[in-house]
Amino acid sequence: MSYAYLFKYIIIGDTGVGKSCLLLQFTDKRFQPVHDLTIGVEFGARMITIDGKQIKLQIWDTAGQEAFRSITRSYYRGAAGALLVYDITRRETFNHLTTWLEDARQHSNSNMVIMLIGNKSDLDSRREVKKEEGEAFAREHGLVFMETSARTAANVEEAFINTAKEIYEKIQEGVFDINNEANGIKIGQQATPTNPALPGSGGAGGAVNSGCC
Amino acid sequence: MEYLKSGIKTVLGGTEPGQQPSAAETVEKLVDRVYSSTLLEDRRDACRALKALSRKYRIEVGAQGMPPLIQVLQNDGQDAEIIGYALDTLCNIVTSEEFDEEADNPAVSVNVGEQFTEMFIKSPEHVTLVMGYLDEYDFRVRRAAIQLITSLIANKTRELQDLVLVSPMGVSKLMDLLTDTREVIRNDVLLLLIELTKGNSNIQKIVAFENAFDRLFDIVREEGCSDGGIVVEDCLILLLNLLKNNSSNQQFFKEGSYIQRLAPMFILSSTNSSDLEECGWTPQKVSNFHCMLQVVRALVTPSNQQQVVSACQRVMQKSQLLKALCDILMGSGVPADILTETINAVAEVVRGDRDNQDELGRLTAPSQPPRPAIVVLLMSMINEKRIQSLRCAVLYCFQCFLYRNVDGQRALVQTLLPFSPTDFSVLTMGLLLLTGLLSTDTLANWFSAVAMMHALVDNVAQKEELLRVLLGTPGGQRPITLLEQCTNLIQQERCRLQSKVGLLMLLSVWLAHCPSAVKALLETQGTMAYLTAQLCANEHDEREYLVQGMCAFLMGLCIQFNDNSLPNQRREDISQLIIKRIGQETFCNKLSEVSRHEAYSRACKQVQIRAKGASELLLDYEYCKLYKGLEALLAKQVSGFDVDGIELTELTLSSEAAALVAQYKGIIRGMDAQIQTLQQSSKDLEQQNSELKEQLSQEQSLKSQLADQNTLLKAQLAAQSPPSELAQLDNDVKLNAARYEANMYFTVNIRLTKELETLRQQLAAEKQRADAANEKLLATQKDQEDLLELLADQEAKLARYEPPATTGEAPPPPEPEPAPAPALAPAEDDRYYSCSVKI
Repeated sequence: MSYAYLFKYIIIGDTGVGKSCLLLQFTDKRFQPVHDLTIGVEFGARMITIDGKQIKLQIWDTAGQEAFRSITRSYYRGAAGALLVYDITRRETFNHLTTWLEDARQHSNSNMVIMLIGNKSDLDSRREVKKEEGEAFAREHGLVFMETSARTAANVEEAFINTAKEIYEKIQEGVFDINNEANGIKIGQQATPTNPALPGSGGAGGAVNSGCC
Repeated sequence: MEYLKSGIKTVLGGTEPGQQPSAAETVEKLVDRVYSSTLLEDRRDACRALKALSRKYRIEVGAQGMPPLIQVLQNDGQDAEIIGYALDTLCNIVTSEEFDEEADNPAVSVNVGEQFTEMFIKSPEHVTLVMGYLDEYDFRVRRAAIQLITSLIANKTRELQDLVLVSPMGVSKLMDLLTDTREVIRNDVLLLLIELTKGNSNIQKIVAFENAFDRLFDIVREEGCSDGGIVVEDCLILLLNLLKNNSSNQQFFKEGSYIQRLAPMFILSSTNSSDLEECGWTPQKVSNFHCMLQVVRALVTPSNQQQVVSACQRVMQKSQLLKALCDILMGSGVPADILTETINAVAEVVRGDRDNQDELGRLTAPSQPPRPAIVVLLMSMINEKRIQSLRCAVLYCFQCFLYRNVDGQRALVQTLLPFSPTDFSVLTMGLLLLTGLLSTDTLANWFSAVAMMHALVDNVAQKEELLRVLLGTPGGQRPITLLEQCTNLIQQERCRLQSKVGLLMLLSVWLAHCPSAVKALLETQGTMAYLTAQLCANEHDEREYLVQGMCAFLMGLCIQFNDNSLPNQRREDISQLIIKRIGQETFCNKLSEVSRHEAYSRACKQVQIRAKGASELLLDYEYCKLYKGLEALLAKQVSGFDVDGIELTELTLSSEAAALVAQYKGIIRGMDAQIQTLQQSSKDLEQQNSELKEQLSQEQSLKSQLADQNTLLKAQLAAQSPPSELAQLDNDVKLNAARYEANMYFTVNIRLTKELETLRQQLAAEKQRADAANEKLLATQKDQEDLLELLADQEAKLARYEPPATTGEAPPPPEPEPAPAPALAPAEDDRYYSCSVKI
């Protein structure tokens, strides 16, 4: 399947906040209630459409456990977008956001779009983190915010698609150097260059060393 | 060398003539110089000298030189030259490769490099230090660092992998080096990554994430794809490392459309046909091609996740990769080992995927006359002149072609049936397999029997169809069935072990779950006698044991899937035969011979048949699967028999029947509980009902009292009406009071009537509920009765199997509830009957 752009995403956050479930809901449209611990990193992919253009999302779902932290850090640099997930029914997962964000900012490229996600919105009765708190945190750190439920699929599509929209806009503005594949963006065959900086043919970009991070 | 020697001389300041210092002394002096010299030039010269010595005197340099060299790495980072020397020296010390210079040095043991590696990585900072020099752009430094790390990983893979993983951006940094424009560096990094990615899925995933697939395909294309040099092979080996047993990367590879980039590489350019055929396949191209085929197989090998396999298979069909592979298959001038591996790859690409299987089935070979490719492949399978690996590959391909392919299985059996147009000039699949089965080549017998067996796997319909196959006999006597032929072949004196094993596997798969095949086998001449003789035999040959075990399995199948339609060959009869002639213990012992044989564990490991020599071709994966599923059941079945007959307890019921009984028990138990709750609730409701009735009667009596009072008051009112003024006034007051009182009574009356009404309604509702509950209760009771009847019926059936005078212990009553013995419910009866048949 041809695509105009390919974006690489990572999903990060504490263990058990529902990262793998979000991915499964997005790629397979199903929910798995049993917590199956992610070992290292797992891969998923899906095609979406933005602005009439086919965009392929390649998503790396990382393990939340501390033991895997050094492994998951390797994925920050090459990603164009990150979903930073916490669990609205567990306050500590919200408290750890700062650490996650620092880690991400330190290892990723500066243009990486980070979407803050409060997951498990279906469990409103057990809520420990108010929606307003999430909004405030996102505002403070310049993130996009959304509450989702991997169980009911509420806002799951939107979370992934809005992140892609944000990246897409940055490309249009010329913020991303799309010839540098280390940014997590690849141009496909059907891209019509709206940005003068784009090469006509696209495809595999040249061998450019990563300038950031 | 002369230059180096003079270099050493200048460094050491010359030695006294006639007295050469020993290597250890020289190294000591040099080490001292590296430590203590203040001038960079002196340290650099000493390092250069150490490097020169390190190849010949590895032990001396390694033992003393490691600390000063590490010190150089720590302090002299600004001078590329000295760092280059230090890294090179370390690399020479730790490498596992043996240098020519040290070949005659007995002190150098094989794993000296490994020991020095262990010493070096004892403190992880050393590795981090070397990793740091990867950032240095200088050619000497970067290349030496890469080579050193490669050697370290090669010696201590696991430890180094862990160190690289925890070093910040370690893998990513290494991946960046792949874009180095200097080819030498790039090629060295490839070698490093090959070592690094071995057996570590986390590193494999990070490498893939860092665009390794793109990079590798770019390099392969630049280097001329399969016609390219060793760099292409290195790229493909790395690719293979990334994909093998790594489902995440496999999925990424598929999603990233890399199969589409792989597919064109398999297209052999048609320009270099005829005269260039021979020289087209250089040894390097053969290696490259081999790796490419391995990459394909890594994606679709049966041990991968089913989901990934089928997704990749679909893409391989759409991207014409399968077609390209088939073209190679039918092409000419392809080297034998490439052909073999291509057949294996095609096998795995089509396995279990109907579209791909159909594509292979439609493929025609460019032969005269044109024949289906499958037929041509089978021809080489039964041809004893072909190499064994190729014949194995064809069998693998054929079994993958038939795997979950009902139409393919039917098509094969059809070619054997008498009414099919039998033009013997046209070679068919079935005909070839028959030829192989009757051939004098024992391997051809084995291959054909196994191939035929795969047409019957999980397909009872074809098992029955194959029973109808008739073969003409040379003497012009009556034609015999294929099954008869098989049993005759086994019994022949000249039938060799491998052929026997093949035929026994074919017969076992044929008989399993197919009572009519069991019947057919029991009707053949002498088969049971032969099997009994085999089991009684006391041969002390390991390979004979295997055949005996397989005979026991076949005999067990004759009991398990016997429909008792042949007098004297019923389950009881065969079991009596076992008890009296073989003994239950012996039988079970012999049965387990199969799983004890080394061929069994070898065959169970993977779907593909792997054999080093022809003699290793014994058991097949599907047969082992069947055996694994039934072994315990057959053993239990046989040991459950009694000397006088079958002891049919619940234990000897087939697993389905036992499960059914357990299920019914569960249902009855559930219904019992339901009845109790319903009875309780109905009692409660009755009580409530009586309470309400009482309340109602009280209210009614109250109401009648009030009505009486009311009329009394009215009467009083009417009586008290004197005309006098005073009395009038007095009367008015009284009247008012009375009116008030009357009003009050009236309202009370209304309220009570209303209340009465609601109570009546409530009562009616409760009555309704009580009725409903009663109804439900009745229904449940009826259900329970039915079930009890059923159970009783089953018991009766069970009892019927017991001989009237049992000497063994009586079977425990399977059902604790007392049940009336009702007439049989016909539908349930059928069900029971079919259960008992499966025992």
